[in-house]
Amino acid sequence: MPASSLFDRLVARGAPAQAAIAGGYAWAVTVAPTVWERGAPVIAILADGVGLAALLASAVGDRLWGGRGRAAALWVFVLASALAWLSAPAALRPTRLDTTRGLAGMAGWALFALASAGPALGERQEPGRVVDDAPLEARNRFARGDVAYPLVGGAVALGLQAVGWGVTSPERALLVRLVALAAGLAIVGTAAEIALARHAPRAPRSWKARMRTVGGPLLLLAGLALAGLLFASRG
Amino acid sequence: MQWSDALAIALVLSAGAAFLLGERALSAAEDMRAIYWLAVGVVSLNAAVQVARPGAKA
Repeated sequence: MPASSLFDRLVARGAPAQAAIAGGYAWAVTVAPTVWERGAPVIAILADGVGLAALLASAVGDRLWGGRGRAAALWVFVLASALAWLSAPAALRPTRLDTTRGLAGMAGWALFALASAGPALGERQEPGRVVDDAPLEARNRFARGDVAYPLVGGAVALGLQAVGWGVTSPERALLVRLVALAAGLAIVGTAAEIALARHAPRAPRSWKARMRTVGGPLLLLAGLALAGLLFASRG
Repeated sequence: MQWSDALAIALVLSAGAAFLLGERALSAAEDMRAIYWLAVGVVSLNAAVQVARPGAKA
């Protein structure tokens, strides 16, 4: 199926489809595992099923009763998920819920809340008033080689994500992930800034003026390198 | 490509290497070493931006 066709169909489905996709993801990551427990209570199993059915029914509710029908079905989904957790609390213990799945679940519920409250896509409200015109011309285009800068920055940022997955302490593991994320963002941002700086007008400047701007950071870097060498030589 | 572009790219790559070493030190609970390498990474990125800025180029 072509991407544009899929996109058009998603737009045509509107708000229910967006909320259902995000809700389905959150349900699969955080609610569905409650019934995988051996000896899971019947209430948890029933609530799991009701929640999923309500999520799927939100599209039908939207078609029959509009926004109110959708909101009611989504509330049933949320309450059924809460009931599933309450009836099987062991599934949410820190020893059972690993960090990655917990973070993925948080992201899933945040996306669900966003998609339910303010859908990004919607059908054209008044198609008759929309005038399709020729596509707008870009004011500026990427020069050849510019793409390499963010690509290299992205590769370095991805490489940073490969380190520190074997840390046993949860606090330190979280700190390592945060540092990796911040460092990756900084590198991608700097790479993009360097790519953009290539196209800015360049005024001829004297060697002295140039060193006044660049000299400070380079001197600081040299000082840090010297300090590192001294630190290493002392063992 | 001017010399300043090449220097800026080299500084970004060295910042990536410094961040990598900082992360490894952080994972191994060597906090002083981690702070040092992370500081080197931040300063390298700052230097890269300063070098690449049009005003700094001849």
